[in-house]
Amino acid sequence: MGVLPNQMLHSTVQRRTGAFAALLAVFLVFFMLGSLIWTPPVQAEDELNCVLCHKFRGLSRIDENGRFRLFYINENLFNKGPHKRIMCMDCHRDIKKIPHDPAEKVNCTVECHLTEPSGGQNFTHAPVKKVLDDSVHSKYDKDGNLKDYPEDYPGCKDCHEQPLYRPLSFFKGESAGISKRGLSRCKTCHQTGDFAEDFYSHVTSRLQKTRESREIVEICAKCHSDPGIQKRHGLHDAVSTYKDTFHGKSVTFGSNETADCVDCHIVYGESVHSIESHTEPTASTHKNNVAATCRNEECHSKAGEMIASYEVHTDYNDAERNPMQYYMLKFFQGLMAAVLYFFVVIIFLELLRRLFPNFCFIKEKPTDATSVLKESSSEKGA
Amino acid sequence: MSDNRYPRINYRNGKRFFFRFSLLQRIQHIVLFTSVITLGLTGFPQRFYNEAWAEPLFTFMGGVDVAPIIHRTAGSVLVFLFFFHTGYWMYLFYRNRLKPLIAEKNLGPGTFFKAFMSMEMMPNGKDGRDIVQMFKYLLYLSPNPPKYDRICWKEKFDYFAPYWGIPVLGPAGLALWFRDEFTQVFPGWLLNAFYIMHTDEALLAGLFLFFVHWYNVHYAPEKFPLGTVFLTGYLSEADMIHEHYAEYVEAMTEGGLEHEIKPQGHH
Repeated sequence: MGVLPNQMLHSTVQRRTGAFAALLAVFLVFFMLGSLIWTPPVQAEDELNCVLCHKFRGLSRIDENGRFRLFYINENLFNKGPHKRIMCMDCHRDIKKIPHDPAEKVNCTVECHLTEPSGGQNFTHAPVKKVLDDSVHSKYDKDGNLKDYPEDYPGCKDCHEQPLYRPLSFFKGESAGISKRGLSRCKTCHQTGDFAEDFYSHVTSRLQKTRESREIVEICAKCHSDPGIQKRHGLHDAVSTYKDTFHGKSVTFGSNETADCVDCHIVYGESVHSIESHTEPTASTHKNNVAATCRNEECHSKAGEMIASYEVHTDYNDAERNPMQYYMLKFFQGLMAAVLYFFVVIIFLELLRRLFPNFCFIKEKPTDATSVLKESSSEKGA
Repeated sequence: MSDNRYPRINYRNGKRFFFRFSLLQRIQHIVLFTSVITLGLTGFPQRFYNEAWAEPLFTFMGGVDVAPIIHRTAGSVLVFLFFFHTGYWMYLFYRNRLKPLIAEKNLGPGTFFKAFMSMEMMPNGKDGRDIVQMFKYLLYLSPNPPKYDRICWKEKFDYFAPYWGIPVLGPAGLALWFRDEFTQVFPGWLLNAFYIMHTDEALLAGLFLFFVHWYNVHYAPEKFPLGTVFLTGYLSEADMIHEHYAEYVEAMTEGGLEHEIKPQGHH
C-alpha cells in the first residue's frame, strides 16, 4: 500500500482491515470444521477400506520391468462406474492380508459375489470371453493351437482400460442416462437401497454408445496402427486408410453417428467382441456379406447391392492393391504440378522482368500503337 | 460487345476508365467466387483432416452437422450458375452473331463455326502469338511486352478452368451426396473414383485460384492489395495499357482519341 498522508484515515483503514481479517478467520474456521464433520459419502463396497491408501493420488511405484504403475483409485469415477457394487477383493482375489504384496492381474472371467438377476447365478464376464475366443482376436486358431505371436492378441483389458473404462458421464458431461423423472417411475415400487438407481443406469447406459466413435478408433489403432504388429500378422494399415474415408473424417471431427471400426466389422446386432476375419464366410466383411453390412437399417438402407464394391480401406500408395485409385491420383497430381508450375514460373519471370524493365539481350526496335492498328486491320481484312 | 449502357471509355474524376464487365457478368462472378470460397472453407478441412487448422475451421463452418449442408448448398448454387452462364453466352451468341447471319440468310456450317470461334472468350491464333511474345519478353529476348486484346490468354484460361472443373467436380459431388441412390444403378467403386476426382480437382482449382488468379488480379505489385475491376467493371488507363494494350489502342481510336494514346513502355 502507498503512504497515506492522513493519520486518521490510516488508522481507520487499519481498524477496518483488522475487522475484515477476523471475519475471514471465523469463516475459515467454519469451513475447516465443516470439512471435518462432512465427508463425501463412500458408496462403494469397500468393507476393507482399501481406499484408505488408494485414495492418494501419488500412490505408485516402478515395477520389475521398469514401468511406472499408478495405484490411485479415483473414488468419484469408481462410484459412477459399472463395478461400484463389487468389492475390491471380488476381483483382486490373491489379496489375503493388508498391507498386501504386489497383486496379480485380474481375471475378468471369475464369478463374483454379485447375483445376475435373470438366472440368479453369480455374475461373470466369461460369456464375453467366449465370444472373444471365437473371434479373429483369439490367441488360438480353430484347431486350438496357439497362433504365431500370441502376445499380440488382445485380452479384456487391452481395450477396456482406464481411463477408457469409464462411464458415459465422465466424457460427455451427462449423468449416465439417469433422469430423475424416469427414476421416479421405478422408485415407487423399488424402494430399497440404491437398486433403482443402479439398474436404471445399468440399462440406460447400454441403450446408447458409451464411447465416442473417435475413441473406438483409437482403441483399435493401439494395435492396428502398430507397424510391428502389421508386419508380424501381414495386415494393412486399416486405421489410416479408414481415416481417409468420409466415415473417418466425420468421426475425426466428432461425429458419433458415422460408422466407426466396430460398426462394419461385426454382424449387425451381434456383440462387438465377435469380430471375424473377412475370410470367414460368416464375417460381416466377407465379400458376400459386405452389402448387407452397409445396407443395415441404421446406415445405407436405401443403397443398392452394388455398394459392396466400394473400397473402404484404400491405400493410395499401393498400385497393386488399388490400381485405379493409385493411377487416378497420379494423373491429378501430374495435372496439378503441370498447371501450377507453368503459372508459378510465369509469375516468377514476370516479377524478375520488373527488375530491369529496359534491359534486353536482343536489340529490337520497340513497337508502338501503330503496329496494333496495322495488325488488327490486317486481321479484319483477312 | 458493349452496348449503350456501358460506354467503352468512361470518365471519373478526370480519369479515363475502360469497360470490362457488365453488371450481370459481375454478379455472376460474385456468385461464382462466393460459392467457390464457401465450398473451399467447408471442403478443405475434410480433405486435410489431419492438419491442426482443419478441426477449428470445420467447427467454425458448422461442424459435422451443418458444414456438409452448407457445402452441398454452395455446390448446388455453383452448378446452377454453370447452367445459367451457359444459357447466358448461348443467348449472347444467338443475339450478336447468329441473328445477323440469319438476317443475311448466310447461316451454314462454315459460317456457324466461324461465328462460334470468333466469340471473345474463344482461344485463337493471336493467343498463341501472344504467349510466344510473352516468353520472349519475360526472358529479356524482346523489349516489347505482348499487346493483349480485350481478353488475354490468361483470362481465357481462368474462364475455361471452371468449364472443366465444374463438370468434373459437380457430378462427382452429386454422386457422393446421393451415394445410396447412386449404388442402386452404379457400382460402388465408382464412388472411390469420384472421391479422388472431387477432392483432387478441387485442390487444383483452389491452389490455382489462390496463387495464380489472385496474383493476376490482386497480388501483383501494381494491384495489391485489391484489384477493383470485379466490382466496378471498369479498368484504369494505366492497368489497361499494362494488360490490354491492343484493346486500349482500339478503344482510343474508336473514341477518336488517337492523339492521346500513350506508349506501352514502362510507366
